[in-house]
Amino acid sequence: MTSTSIAESVKRARRGVGPAGAGRKPGPAPAARARKRFTPRTWTLIAFAAPSLILLLLLNVYPLVYALIQALHDGTLLETGPFVGLKNFGDVLAQPSFWSETSFTVVFTVVGVFGSWLVGLALSLLLRTHIPAGGLFKVLLLLPWIVPTVVSATSWNWLVATPQSPLPVIAEHLGFGNVLFLADPMLAQVVVCLFKVWISFPFMMMMMSSALASVDTNVYEAAKVDGATGWQSFRLITLPLIARTTFVSWILMTIFCVNDFPTIFLLTGGGPAHATTSLVLLAYLTVFQNFQTGPGVAIAFLMTFVLVVISVVLYRQIRKVNVE
Amino acid sequence: METSRFTTSRRGFLGLVGTGAAVAALAACSTGGGGGGASASLKFWNMPWGTPAFNTLDSKITLGYKPESGLPAATYQAIQWANFNQTFSSALASKTGPAISSGGGTQAFQFAKQGFIAPADGLIESWKSNGIYDDFLPGVLDAMKTDAGYVAVPYNLDMRVNWYNKELLEKAGATPPTDWQSYLDAAAALKKIDVYGFAANGNASGGNAFQMIVGLMINNGGGIFDEEHKPNLVTAANIEALEFVRENISKGYMDPAAISYTATNANSQWKAEKFGMGFDVPNLAANVGGASSSQLVVGDPLTSASGKKGALYFPNNIMMYKNTPSQKGSEAFMTYYYQNMKALWTQNTGIGLPVLKSIAATPEFQSDPNAVKIVKMWQPIAKTWAAPGGTALFSNISYVDSTPAISDFGQNVLSGKSAKDALTTFQSTLTSLIKD
Repeated sequence: MTSTSIAESVKRARRGVGPAGAGRKPGPAPAARARKRFTPRTWTLIAFAAPSLILLLLLNVYPLVYALIQALHDGTLLETGPFVGLKNFGDVLAQPSFWSETSFTVVFTVVGVFGSWLVGLALSLLLRTHIPAGGLFKVLLLLPWIVPTVVSATSWNWLVATPQSPLPVIAEHLGFGNVLFLADPMLAQVVVCLFKVWISFPFMMMMMSSALASVDTNVYEAAKVDGATGWQSFRLITLPLIARTTFVSWILMTIFCVNDFPTIFLLTGGGPAHATTSLVLLAYLTVFQNFQTGPGVAIAFLMTFVLVVISVVLYRQIRKVNVE
Repeated sequence: METSRFTTSRRGFLGLVGTGAAVAALAACSTGGGGGGASASLKFWNMPWGTPAFNTLDSKITLGYKPESGLPAATYQAIQWANFNQTFSSALASKTGPAISSGGGTQAFQFAKQGFIAPADGLIESWKSNGIYDDFLPGVLDAMKTDAGYVAVPYNLDMRVNWYNKELLEKAGATPPTDWQSYLDAAAALKKIDVYGFAANGNASGGNAFQMIVGLMINNGGGIFDEEHKPNLVTAANIEALEFVRENISKGYMDPAAISYTATNANSQWKAEKFGMGFDVPNLAANVGGASSSQLVVGDPLTSASGKKGALYFPNNIMMYKNTPSQKGSEAFMTYYYQNMKALWTQNTGIGLPVLKSIAATPEFQSDPNAVKIVKMWQPIAKTWAAPGGTALFSNISYVDSTPAISDFGQNVLSGKSAKDALTTFQSTLTSLIKD
């Protein structure tokens, strides 16, 4: 059987998982439904929900509007200051340091998202097999996610910070000389990214495990009957069937990575020489240590904008997967 | 089935929910009372200046205050260092802040500029008659005086002083340094026994190498600000000081990983006897702990290449705010507190060096020869961030007090950037940050 025909068989099998030929359910016409939508009961339900909705709206909208006001003013933590329009955004975008920190944030996010996803997926596939004490392993593998970041960052610092730390000692014994894991800008970036993958893979593992658990094993058996190899089953069945969860986990992990403050702050403080300064750290330093509220909030807004764009793109992928 | 007699109609329930929301909204919109109000108590917010025992004892001292009739009693709140700028700023903006507090070393100067601080001139004047004024160590009160008067009162001192491990120095056959050249000689001798003679911790968030570097600039007659409170960094004195630092680095006297070290990492290196000499905090020996701590000795102030002596010190202070239930009450509490705070030092709570001679003279304080040496030999020659232009702090100093700009400067120097380049970059950054 050719690869194309296997793919078609798999697509047919996947379509067969749900009820075939599902169309519009029988019921009243759309216009009639619209008339029925606003019954007195509906208004009552809206009224019940209104206080909570208004409160939620205030809790979310007020800080957002206040932040926008600060981004458009030249103020401090205590005073709003004079209105400067979009100057803060222009100033931030004109800073060379903003772009170097943006590029590190991109690297950190890409490595964090895909690194943790790959490790998480691999482990979740491994844990599906019958290995002894699988439950215990699952719990142990969750530890990096469970342990507070401040503890794990301190542990990693202890592992690599000084020449007498365990990893530099091992590196020296292996003939790599005195490896400066946190003092060398490039190595510090590598350490920070690895640390992010390490603390994030359990989350991905949980997401992927739950997605894999929902895959009907009959599909694999059907593919096996059609002569699919293990790789073909993984590529053409597993990945498409867990695509929705994968995209959701990518969206979440992208948000976690871009907004990740403690990982970097506790491990390197953004150094050496700004090598590991991410945008969220830059925003924090600008507002709370340089006392430049406007530019700091402008950075946060730019981050939010980029995150929204990424989320929308990935969300469209989810909808595409649903349609398929 | 029995129904409840207390039934509520749908409309009644909605009304109840609406009333509840309105009450909550009104409560949220009301002011928190702050330090003000006729019957309000006096809020004293203090930072964790030492071990957890510090705040326990400090609270006890505060709550032991018995005000005169008509004056408010005091309440105590420990404020954590994490995000303390935000804590104070939001509290002041919402008028829920303290009447009296300690805080960041330059906080009082920032808040004074924004009109939140009650000047301490009247208080200090009153202290001339009860002995407290004359009890201050020389020069420390001057650091608090601005054109608008005293914005705060000195509370405890932090400083960067020269430390060495006496055993390691003996083992290396070196003598304790007295000037920059003998420092380089001692560091060279330490290098021969595989010990670093120029200890540093340059981590961007947890290090303070920039304080050591500015301390050496002040040692050589330089510093950051001129008489007009403007940054003036590219000077001969500063370049010479940075060349001294660069010489230590280029000759291998500094641990190459030090640029990433936090203060904790550096303490580990002192403890592991990998650091034999350097410039660090007054309570280094206590921070290092273990057997090595007893070997750590405070050296004499060094004579620089230009023949000068000097060091960087930080007069941490207590400030009074305008948002108080009674200014007279604030001053009465301050007097009580300064007359009764001695136990914070005599009971070894970990607070910095005292500002009062009477505390420095206690047997408990005198039992620590390192602390005594710092007060006796280093404090008289130490200067604030305002050096070389002046002694009193001012609001723009907040731009160099542990900020990204100065941390970058420290990292640039430690990473081997030329003295002039590092100073020029720092000058340019500060000029762009300081608008007035």
